[in-house]
Amino acid sequence: MRKSFAILLILTLASGGARLATAAELQVFAAASLSDALQELAAGYEKSSGDKILLNLAASSTLARQIQEGAPADLFLSADEEKMDGLEKRHLLLAGTRRSVLSNTLVVVVSADSTVKIAAPADLVAKVRVLALAEPQSVPAGIYAKHYLKAQKLWDRLIDRVVPTENVRAALAAVEAGNADAGIVYKTDAGNSRKVRIAYEVARSEGPKISYPFAVVANTQQPDAARRFLTFLESPAALEVFRKYGFLLAGGS
Amino acid sequence: MNAAEWQVVGFTLRVSAFAILLILPPGLAIAWLLARFRWPGKSLAETLIALPLVLPPVATGLLLLKLLGRRGALGAFLHDRLGLDVVFTWRGVVVAMAVMSLPLLVRGARVAFEGVDPRLEQIARTLGATDVRVFLTITLPLARNGILGGTLLAFARALGEFGATILVAGNIPGRTSTLALSIYQLVQLGKDGEAFRLLGISAAIAFAAVWASERFLARRGPR
Amino acid sequence: MSTMRLALHRIRLPLAAFTLEVDTEITAGITGLFGPSGAGKTSLLDLVAGLRRAPSALIRLGDRVLTDTAQGLSVPARERRIGYVPQDLALFPHLSVRGNLLYGAHGKEETNGNGGRFAFDHIRDLLDLGPLLERGIAHLSGGEKQRVAFARALLSSPRLLLLDEPLAGLDRPRRERILAYLRQAHDDLQVPMLYVSHHADEMTALCGEVLHLDHGKVTGQGEPGA
Repeated sequence: MRKSFAILLILTLASGGARLATAAELQVFAAASLSDALQELAAGYEKSSGDKILLNLAASSTLARQIQEGAPADLFLSADEEKMDGLEKRHLLLAGTRRSVLSNTLVVVVSADSTVKIAAPADLVAKVRVLALAEPQSVPAGIYAKHYLKAQKLWDRLIDRVVPTENVRAALAAVEAGNADAGIVYKTDAGNSRKVRIAYEVARSEGPKISYPFAVVANTQQPDAARRFLTFLESPAALEVFRKYGFLLAGGS
Repeated sequence: MNAAEWQVVGFTLRVSAFAILLILPPGLAIAWLLARFRWPGKSLAETLIALPLVLPPVATGLLLLKLLGRRGALGAFLHDRLGLDVVFTWRGVVVAMAVMSLPLLVRGARVAFEGVDPRLEQIARTLGATDVRVFLTITLPLARNGILGGTLLAFARALGEFGATILVAGNIPGRTSTLALSIYQLVQLGKDGEAFRLLGISAAIAFAAVWASERFLARRGPR
Repeated sequence: MSTMRLALHRIRLPLAAFTLEVDTEITAGITGLFGPSGAGKTSLLDLVAGLRRAPSALIRLGDRVLTDTAQGLSVPARERRIGYVPQDLALFPHLSVRGNLLYGAHGKEETNGNGGRFAFDHIRDLLDLGPLLERGIAHLSGGEKQRVAFARALLSSPRLLLLDEPLAGLDRPRRERILAYLRQAHDDLQVPMLYVSHHADEMTALCGEVLHLDHGKVTGQGEPGA
């Protein structure tokens, strides 16, 4: 009796130990706009792989800054190439792991109960008193929006009406709460919110090139697990999830 | 230091001073009521007033945002009836600073009032003074040093206010950007040198305010 | 001598160790309130001055009702025209002697109905306060402080003056001097006084009538020395 119990115990510990030997905890620093898609993907990945995914979601500029200061990140999923360039220049990325995976579309949103009709860029000048954008000096969504408005020659006229926010989700929240008349966010953000509706979509030809590069951070303590997760994010199954949330694939549909 | 940086310094000093001026009358009144009287609900009032001191500033900011946003209980009235916006404007900065520094002012003033011998106020009344005259000619002058000390401390707190301010007013360059918000912004942008410059100015102003506050508080007591 | 009629009826005020109960009338120009420490004397003065309220009291000065709990009436202290020199003097530390003196003065000469004159110059000279006017309170001796507190109360043209142990803490020569000032002020200004002390000899020296108070109850009333 005691002997079979002992064997059972050892087998259990061995199998558990085998799992423990490979299970990793990954810190994933990701752009705020990826929140919903990543949460779904992470939950699925944890079940199938046994690794634990900890998401740090914020503006890419904030995350890049944190990584520069030595924050313990394993992966960085950025909303623009510029932030990734900054880290690469400082040799903070694991060589060969950087790749551009996703793209997105800009949209102009208004509150779901707004009666204001905005169908074209000119309407922004005519009808919007407070325009919410992610901080246009540093946050990718804001930089993209500013490029767009500059290309439309509207930036100078709108700059006094701009309320810059911490990240793109905060801009969305401002429109939802009615504190901003309109906002420029990603199509993926608008799709997730019932409290805003899309006034119009920025055509790809008129908008800036949006690109989401992913990479493994050089200081990672578990490069193998990190690479595995990155590969997963590029897999057809994961891309399907991203597409479901409204993301485009890099360089195309 | 360039013009933009000086603008931030000037703006911060102005809104902080305005916030303090706003809370002085109600703050002194509340402090006096707390110092001199007992009334039902006094403990509750004391706790509510002290809350901004211990709640995370962003929590207070969130409450203010909900209240003063265009759809908030108070904000809707201001926006719809008076055409006034508080959130994302300098008024939001003033409100955030006022709420966060009120507890410090009330505390300092209350202690100051409690230090005034009530017998002096009573005798003044027998000499024919109205309650207002007693307050202005006896209570206030004798509580002056403690009140000034508390006011300066509240001012220093307002200057450095960040958590509630960033939620209620945002960090809009030229319009709501204070010293604290600017420092944060510069760090985000990787402009550490400029951030340190503003940090130096912040520290100098705060040092002066707190130092003066301590001098006044030390001068309290029977004269 | 100036007369007053101070009616103290149905007074009942619970204190820490006992209940103050008084029901009497006072008519003398200077009446003493005599009793051991803690007998309730100060509390009674506070009631008369309107600084304290009792559950039950009817207080009348001359024809004027100051307190009547049955009617819910209580004239505020500032309207009673009753001067008060408390035990700790309560001089205002942030004002000069002149500032203290003038606090209750109304800028013009007033009378108290008995023909007294409460002019600033007159009272200043009566109590020899001339050289002290610009001094701060902290720079006065004990006796000087007594005189300032006394003059300050007089300058508000009171119809009744309450004095709580005005000679406490003074040595004998100074007490004699202050007593002389009190007598002279009373004679000159015709203001009635209610004078609290636990020294029998002061009662004899000054008062026309003495009220004995012990543990909150009146235990005697009549000529001093009785």
